[in-house]
Amino acid sequence: MIVDVGAVGDFDDRRFRIVTAGGREVGVLRWRDRFYAVHNRCPHQSGPVCLGVVSGKLQGAAPGSMDVDDETPVLACPWHGWEFDLDRGRALWDESYAVKTMPVHVEDGRVLVEMGRAGRAD
Amino acid sequence: MYSGPVIDCDIHHARNSDDELTAYLSKGWREYVTGRGRAGNVPLTVQDGFPNPHGFMRADTYPENGGEPGGDYATMRSQLLDASDVRRAILTFGDDSHAAGHHNPYFAAELARAINDWSIDRWLSQDERLYSSILVGSQLPDDAAAEIRRHRANPRMVQVMLVDNPFNRPFGHPVFHPIYAAAVETGRPVAIHGGAGSWANPPSTGGGSVGTYFETHVLWPQAIQTHLVSFIANGVFEKFPELRLVLIEGGSAWIPSLLWRFDTEYKGLRREVPWLKRLPSEYFAKHVWVTTQPLEAGAKKEDVIAVLRSMGLEDRLVYSSDYPHWDADEIDYLSSRLPAEWHDRIFFENACALYGWDRDAMSPARQGGAAKAT
Repeated sequence: MIVDVGAVGDFDDRRFRIVTAGGREVGVLRWRDRFYAVHNRCPHQSGPVCLGVVSGKLQGAAPGSMDVDDETPVLACPWHGWEFDLDRGRALWDESYAVKTMPVHVEDGRVLVEMGRAGRAD
Repeated sequence: MYSGPVIDCDIHHARNSDDELTAYLSKGWREYVTGRGRAGNVPLTVQDGFPNPHGFMRADTYPENGGEPGGDYATMRSQLLDASDVRRAILTFGDDSHAAGHHNPYFAAELARAINDWSIDRWLSQDERLYSSILVGSQLPDDAAAEIRRHRANPRMVQVMLVDNPFNRPFGHPVFHPIYAAAVETGRPVAIHGGAGSWANPPSTGGGSVGTYFETHVLWPQAIQTHLVSFIANGVFEKFPELRLVLIEGGSAWIPSLLWRFDTEYKGLRREVPWLKRLPSEYFAKHVWVTTQPLEAGAKKEDVIAVLRSMGLEDRLVYSSDYPHWDADEIDYLSSRLPAEWHDRIFFENACALYGWDRDAMSPARQGGAAKAT
């Protein structure tokens, strides 16, 4: 099922917008020219994961160094701070945990979420 | 009861007089210590102000001919080294181990250098089974690193030893990293002995300073926990992938609980320490060993065993007697508290792995007697 969740211009860069699609609460994120759709439910304690902070992936090549990988958006759940790599949906420290993601397409300036199919995580 | 080979990883050897140590000080520092006339020597050791109501030593360890417990080789040999099949024994100093508790960093460095030479001359020369820690004045980490490198060629100086905390910063703080660089470069583990947050420097108990030896001894694991968390969070094991860490006399049954919490917190707070590449418990399992004494004694030994097993500690624990201290653990007692299938590892094999020793190179016969210090 394809759900039209709005025009591209409706989405601010690096901000989740919560929509209802297919009876589910879904967070839709614009990350520059990419879009992500995430079921708004954390696999940890079922928190509203899409209300959390999105940033580039923080990493440190050596102790004390702090770098950011802006090509890899990371969502941190507002409950307990678990982080998920949105390209794959997986938790950064344990790939057995994942948020549910769905494919997103842009057609004619509209953002379309493909419900019922796994996103990039799978 | 266990009757196999033993490596004892915590034996407190002591000196019987100031003269034993001042003989190893430089001429200038010797004058500084001994030249006060009627005022007597500058104190060589620092005290933390918590007197043990029994005294700190087993009463039966006072040598018959006088002197201090742990201060007479013949007594130590008969009571400890020859009392079981001890293949190697690691010396960890007595009150002199608190060199880093001195306020004067230069004096501390000189004392550490002198006590190491004393240990080589007075102890390692007497018995091939004896190995010594390298004490460092950690107030001056670069000088401490130089002291470690000075013993590079002596395999009997087997580990770096930290006790007091000079800066009110736990030992994972980068200020201490020159010590770990030298330890890795020379192939030595780093050992932290319990009580390592106290004495003349920062208090050993979070929440406030306590009032009795009873309280402070119960809470010794607090300081060890702080250092362990600091080592892992600061990425010491990422920076020094070959580093081995030994936690001495801080207990062990708390380790699963701490690591469970540590892993949980890491999952939520990774952003603050992105240089970590694995769970804290995984760093522990690769880099950290723990001495047995004092083994926590639950009402049911099976409860303690289950806790230790939950984090695989049967592969990380190394036997320690803590001789000649009041709360030393006997081999018979300890072996009665632990599963028989763990005995070989805890009394012998785990220490071989920790120190890189070839177990087959240690002859089974008693090895006491004169030996050249190398």
